[in-house]
Amino acid sequence: MRRVQIFSGSSNPALCDAICERLGRTPSQCALKKFSNGETSVQVGCSIRDQDVFIVQGGGAKVNDAIMETLILISACKGGSANKVTAVLPYFPYSKQSKKKSHRGAITARMLANLLTVAGVDHVITVDLHASQMKGFFSRPVDNLSAEPIFAKWIRQNVPNWREAVVVSKNPGGTKRVTSLADALKLNFALITTDKRRAIHDSALQSRRHSPAHSEHGNGGGGGGTGLIDTNSNEKSGESADALSKQALEKSPVAGPSDGHHFRRQGLSTYFQHQRSGSSDTSSRLGTQFGHRNVPHPDSHMPLLHSVSGLSNHPLKEQHNGIPEDGEGDDEEESYNDDQVSDVTASRLVQGHIVDDDYPSPSMTASMILEKDEEGSLNHMLSSIYSTTSSIVGQDSHALGNVDPDASDEDDDGQDQIERMIMLVGEVRNKTIFIVDDMIDRAGSWVAAAELAVKRCGAKKVYCIATHGLFGSGTLDEMDECKCIDKIVVTNSFPLGEEVIRKYKKLLVLDLSHLLSEVIRRNHHGETISPLYTYYWD
Amino acid sequence: MATNSIKLLTGNSHPELASSVAQRLGIELTKIMVLQYSNQETSVTIGESVRDEDVFILQSTAPGEINDGLMELLIMINACKTASARRITAVIPNFPYARQDKKDKSRAPISAKLVANMLQTAGCNHVITMDLHASQIQGFFNVPVDNLYAEPSVLHYIRQNFDVQNAVIVSPDAGGAKRATAIADRLDLPFALIHKERTKPNEVSRMTLVGDVKEKTAILVDDMADTCGTLVKAAETLIENGAQCVVAIVTHGILSGKAIESINGSKLTKVVVTNTVPHEEKKKMCPKLDTIDISPTLAEALWRVSPESTGGTMLNFTAAVARA
Repeated sequence: MRRVQIFSGSSNPALCDAICERLGRTPSQCALKKFSNGETSVQVGCSIRDQDVFIVQGGGAKVNDAIMETLILISACKGGSANKVTAVLPYFPYSKQSKKKSHRGAITARMLANLLTVAGVDHVITVDLHASQMKGFFSRPVDNLSAEPIFAKWIRQNVPNWREAVVVSKNPGGTKRVTSLADALKLNFALITTDKRRAIHDSALQSRRHSPAHSEHGNGGGGGGTGLIDTNSNEKSGESADALSKQALEKSPVAGPSDGHHFRRQGLSTYFQHQRSGSSDTSSRLGTQFGHRNVPHPDSHMPLLHSVSGLSNHPLKEQHNGIPEDGEGDDEEESYNDDQVSDVTASRLVQGHIVDDDYPSPSMTASMILEKDEEGSLNHMLSSIYSTTSSIVGQDSHALGNVDPDASDEDDDGQDQIERMIMLVGEVRNKTIFIVDDMIDRAGSWVAAAELAVKRCGAKKVYCIATHGLFGSGTLDEMDECKCIDKIVVTNSFPLGEEVIRKYKKLLVLDLSHLLSEVIRRNHHGETISPLYTYYWD
Repeated sequence: MATNSIKLLTGNSHPELASSVAQRLGIELTKIMVLQYSNQETSVTIGESVRDEDVFILQSTAPGEINDGLMELLIMINACKTASARRITAVIPNFPYARQDKKDKSRAPISAKLVANMLQTAGCNHVITMDLHASQIQGFFNVPVDNLYAEPSVLHYIRQNFDVQNAVIVSPDAGGAKRATAIADRLDLPFALIHKERTKPNEVSRMTLVGDVKEKTAILVDDMADTCGTLVKAAETLIENGAQCVVAIVTHGILSGKAIESINGSKLTKVVVTNTVPHEEKKKMCPKLDTIDISPTLAEALWRVSPESTGGTMLNFTAAVARA
C-alpha cells in the first residue's frame, strides 16, 4: 500500500507488528516515551504529509496512559498535515461506562469519543464494542468489526461435535451477541440470569426451591411438565386455553405481521396444551424454541423475546386476582408462575459459587445492600420475560432512575457477601456449551455460570469465549482453577504475553491481525468491509 | 434549588490543597467517589446534587500520574456536565503538558492545545490555573482562562525571609527573564540572567551568566522545577561567579526523577516551591525544601468568580486576581 503509515502505540506493539506483517511492511518510525514527570511524549519519525495514517493501540495495563498517547499521536499526525488519521482501537477503552449508571456518573465512553474527535481523528476502527449504540457517540465514521466470524470458524474447526453444542449467554444483556453466534453456527442457545430480588424474598424462595418440579430438575429428570404447574393455574388455564391465547395476542405489545402472529399463536397454544395435558413433551418447551431456527418470524434474531413477551402479557393472572397488577410484590409473584413456560434450572449462588439447597444462608441483611450488577439496566428486558406486567412498567421505574441497581459495572463486586439466585433457561444436558460475552474482566460471573451449567444442568464441556481478555488481577488463576471451565478463548486485542499463554493451559488466544489488516487495506483502497462480518463458511 | 454557594470537588491528586482552600472559603468539600477498576479505568460518582450549581473542580497533577490525573479530571467534569451543573470551573494550579506548547520540531504535537481542547470537550466552562509556562496557552481555549500569579506570595516570602538589601534576582533561562524582572522591579533589586544551551529536554549542557552577583544572595526565580538539572547547574555557575549563597524560588515544584538527590547534593541553600504540586513526602527527604502556601490565592480567585461574590475581597490578601 502506498502513501500509508501505520503507527503502533506502546500498549500492544505485537498486534501492530502482526498487522504490518500481513500487509507486507514494517510499522512506521515513531518515538514514544515519557518525560520524567510522567508526561507522554511523541515524536513522529517520518513524513506523513498528505498520507493515510493508521494508529494501532490495543488495550493495555495503563489505560489512561494509552489514551493520552493515542490522542497525542493523533494530534501530532493531524498537525503534521496527514491526509486522514484512523485510530485502530480493537478494545475501545471505557466502553463499559457507556451509560449513566448512577446519579451523576459520567458517560465516559461518549466523552472519550469526543476527545478522539477533538484530537483530529477522521475514522475509528474497533472490534466488538460493549454496546453497538456507542457508534452514535462519534461524529466520525466508525467500523465496529466483529470477532464472531473468527470464533465461529475456530469452533467449526476445533470443537468436536460442535453441531450438538449450545451457546449460552451469562447475562440477559449479552443475549443479542449470543443469538448472533447461535445463528451463525445454527445452534441452540440458552440464557443465564442472576437475580438478586429472589434472595430478598427468601420465604417465597424456599417454597419454590423445594417444589417437586425443581427437585425433579435437580435429579436430572428431563420432563418437568407436570410438576411445573401449580393446581390453581392448571385448572384455570385448562378451561379455555384458546380464548386465553387470543386475549394474550390482543395484549401483545408487538403488532407484527401476520406470520409473526401465527408463530406466536402456535407457540402459545402449544404452551397451553402442554399445560393442560401436563405432558412432558419437550418440543414445546421454551428452551427448545429458543434455538428453533426455522420459525417464519420477521425478526428471526429474537423469536424468544417476542413469543415470551406475548406470553407474559397474557391475562391469566388478572383473572386470578381480579385486579390489574402493577406493584412490585405482584411482580415477584408473577415471575414464579411464568417460570412454567421455560426449562429453567435455578440454584443458589453464595460467594460466587453454586451451593446446595441446604447450604446455610449468609446474613440476610447483606442483601439489603444495594447490589451491583453488570447489566442491571437491562433487567427490564428480563422482567418482560418473567413478569406479567407490561415491559413498559419495568422501563418506567428505570426512566425515573429510582433504584438503578447497577451502580457499578464491576459485576462481581459485593457478590461475596450476598446470596443470589442464578438460573439457566434452556437445555444444556450432556452438551458442550459456549459461554459467550464481549470481555472477560473478573472471573466471578464466568465461574458461577460454568458451575451452574455443569453441576446443576449437566453440561459436558464448557468453553468461555470472549473478544477482549482484560483479565483483571487473579482472574486467569481463578478461571484456570475452576474445574467446570474447560477452555478460555479470547483474541489478542489485549496483550497477554508468551509466558502467560504458556502458563495457563486452558487459555487460547485467537489472532485478530488478519481481520484488522484486512480492514485497514480495504479502508485505504475504499473497498467494502461488509464481507468481514459474514465469512462464515469460508 | 440551587444554593448558589461554591461547590468544590477534588480529585485524588491533591486533596490537601483542596481541603485547605475549602477551609479558607468556609465550605465543605462536595462528596465524590473516584475509584479505579481492576483494569485501571477510572470511575467517578458524585455524592450530592450539583444541578444548577456552580461547580469548581480542583485537580493538580502529581508527577508520575499525570495521565491518570488528567483523565480523572475530565471524567469528573463530564460527570458534572451530565448531572446538569450550571457552570463548571476546572481549577488546575499546575497545567499539565504546558511545556509541549509549540511545534518545536517537525511533526511534534502541541499537546497543551490538545489538553485545552479535551477540557472543553469534557464540558469545562472556565479554567483557573497558575503561572502558565507560556501565557499564550490561554489562547488555546475558547473559554475564559484565569492565569493566576504566585508572584504576590513569592514577594511576600522574599520580604519575610531574606535580606532584601543584599539580594539579586536571577533568571535561570532567557524564557523566564520577564518573570524575574517583574519581581526584581517590585523589590527594587538588581537582576541577572543565565543563558543555557539545551540539547535534549531535561538536560542542560553549558551556562553563561549575564549580570553581577558578587557577594550577594542570588535568588533564582522560575516557573517550574522538574528534574532540577537547570537549577543545580545555575547554582554552580552563580557560586563560581562569586555569589554568597543561592536560593531558588519556583512556582511548580514537580521534582520528578532524581530531583531530590540533585538538590541535596547541590550548592543551593534552599529551594522554595508552592504547593500547587503535592510534595509533602519529598519534604521529609530534603531539608532544603520549603513551601509557600498558595491556597489563599486560589480561595480568593474562587470566591471572586463565584456567584456568591459581590465584587469585594473576601480576605485581607494581596489582590492576586486583579492582575490576571
